[in-house]
Amino acid sequence: MAVPVQYYLVLSAFVFCVGLFGVLTRRNALLFLMSVELMLNAANINFVAFSYYHGNLTGQVFSLFTMALAAAEVAVGIGIILVLYRNFADVDVTTATTLRW
Amino acid sequence: MYTVATGHAYQSTLYTWVGGEAVPYELTFGILLDQLSTLMLVIVSLISFLVHVFSLGYMNDEDEGGLARYYAELGLFSASMLGFVFADNLLMAFMFFELVGLCSYLLIGFWFREAGPPSAAKKAFLVTRFGDYFFLIGVVAVFATFGTAAFGGPGVEESFPHLAELALDGEASVNTFGFAPSTWFTIVGLLVLGGVMGKSAQFPFHTWLPDAMEGPTPVSALIHAATMVAAGVYLVARMYGFYALSPTALGVIAFVGGFTALFAATMGVVKREIKQVLAYSTISQYGYIMLALGGGGYVAGVFHLTTHAVFKALLFLGAGSVIIAMHHNENMWDMGGLKDEMPVTYYAFLSGSLALAGIVPFSGFWSKDEVLFETLIHGLGDSPLLLGAYAMGLLAVFFTGFYTFRMVLLTFHGEPRSDTARDPHGVRWNVKVPLVVLGTLAAVVGVINLTPVHTLVPAVPEFLHDWLFHGPEGLNGEHYEELLHDFAGYTKGYPLGETLTMLASAAVSLGLALAGAGLAVALYRGPEPVEHTDKLGALKTVLFNNYYQDEFQVWLAEGLTARVAGAADTVDVSGIDGVVNFVSSLSLFTGDRLRRVQTGIVSNYAALLTLGLTILLVAFGVMQGWFL
Repeated sequence: MAVPVQYYLVLSAFVFCVGLFGVLTRRNALLFLMSVELMLNAANINFVAFSYYHGNLTGQVFSLFTMALAAAEVAVGIGIILVLYRNFADVDVTTATTLRW
Repeated sequence: MYTVATGHAYQSTLYTWVGGEAVPYELTFGILLDQLSTLMLVIVSLISFLVHVFSLGYMNDEDEGGLARYYAELGLFSASMLGFVFADNLLMAFMFFELVGLCSYLLIGFWFREAGPPSAAKKAFLVTRFGDYFFLIGVVAVFATFGTAAFGGPGVEESFPHLAELALDGEASVNTFGFAPSTWFTIVGLLVLGGVMGKSAQFPFHTWLPDAMEGPTPVSALIHAATMVAAGVYLVARMYGFYALSPTALGVIAFVGGFTALFAATMGVVKREIKQVLAYSTISQYGYIMLALGGGGYVAGVFHLTTHAVFKALLFLGAGSVIIAMHHNENMWDMGGLKDEMPVTYYAFLSGSLALAGIVPFSGFWSKDEVLFETLIHGLGDSPLLLGAYAMGLLAVFFTGFYTFRMVLLTFHGEPRSDTARDPHGVRWNVKVPLVVLGTLAAVVGVINLTPVHTLVPAVPEFLHDWLFHGPEGLNGEHYEELLHDFAGYTKGYPLGETLTMLASAAVSLGLALAGAGLAVALYRGPEPVEHTDKLGALKTVLFNNYYQDEFQVWLAEGLTARVAGAADTVDVSGIDGVVNFVSSLSLFTGDRLRRVQTGIVSNYAALLTLGLTILLVAFGVMQGWFL
């Protein structure tokens, strides 16, 4: 009993929207990072789903790369958040606005 | 010297500073010694020497400061003037012309710590420079037209007056910029004439000369009477072969000269300062020289130039002597009775005055008479317009006689009118010697050209006439007369026969001079002369203010030029700058508004990103027809 590919797409869209909602509404940088991760994983779900649907392993391999990339991204992101905290004593993204004009 | 004396000339190019294959003409320095320039050299050197001697009395004995500067400038002046006379081409002449102007500026402003001299120096510089501007264009035009600016002489292949003559005959072609050759030559001649009028203080550029009297008196004698202002008319004589080709240019010269002679003489009538009277008489006398040159009297013009240099230097040095005696008070109404106190100065001054007024047999009579006679006979020939210029010149003779003798009577006769005049300061040999030399010359220098006597008694020689007529080919008086006859259409008319016309002309001018002198004697003799100028009423005010020429020029500068410049400035600031400023402020304004988009808040950027993506998707959808 195979799950139809539309279900995966709906799941993926849902996870993406949760991530997007988080990015747009949260002010905490850590939550920000998590939301970004959700959006990335939504994309991964799509990759895997379509890979299975087409019987082609490229998508699954690509999702492995994405996960490695996400790990690196989180490492950089956490580093930025640490510096943010040191400079502003807070991780609220709306306070760090001094790099504009 | 020997070459010139035997009727030849010497010309040599000393230095070529622009030349070669790549340029179409050569710019050179060279010297040209012919009859005219050697005569001028004698005048300049003689007057310059005597003025230097006189300066010992005027400057050294009076304990003036800055003597080193004074003599350096005087020396530079003499050198530039001699360089100008030596010049064998128009460009070199122009350079020395400018140097002479510079020296004039330096020497007028010699007492630069006082208020008057620097301002007078600037005025002289600017006014003459205005004329020289036209001269410079004229020099460039000569080069562009003929490719050479040489005056002529034995060592020169092609001189520009000669080329112009050939071009008018159709034997040579020159670049006349689309004009007929005669028209173009007239234009070029008039351009050069601008420099002449500035330097020789001809109307309307005469205003600087009376102000130039702020300088030391020996300087006035050397520069503003005898030599520098002579540079202008000398230039006309130097390139007379060119002017003689253009009747229009000659007519302009004659009218400017005649008008200036009369105009300046009337202003000299009312002046109170001795040097002011002399300044206006200088302008007036240069008017005569211009009149002679324009009227076809080349020899007459040069002759008057010679005699005037002598007697006007004499008069200025005499005035300088009087000024020493009067402790630098120049007002003639404070003088009087100086005749008995300073006899040497008096008799020398009287000799100069008689020459200036044109009383026989002093030098001025012979030259002025020849000037008027030449103009008259050419006017009576085929050029009746010259008679107008002649009439003005003739009328000026009367005024000349009047102001000259008014000056003499007020200064030397009557009772002393002030304490300084009662006990004047004595003068030493270095003042007296130049006065004696020049006083003698002023009386006798007329013998170099006794033309009227020569006509009556052919045995009496006319040296100057012969001298100038036997110059090198193309540069002598005979050639000029042919040119005048062939190109300018000047012919001589003798309604009463040659001798009688000449005697009549001489009698009229002598009569007028005597009448003027007589009127002055009648009005100002006696121990206590009174001012008669008030009787002139409103005219006196006009004359005293020099016909408001200064005011007119100031108005021209401030009222007209400054306003035009102001209007141009407004257009520039509000119009042209406005457009540029508007463009830049537009960028600044939009930039300032646009940068507010950058809030620095990450959430906003994310929202915008999402919004943009959504809009893109919707747009794609609409275009691809997904929603249909």
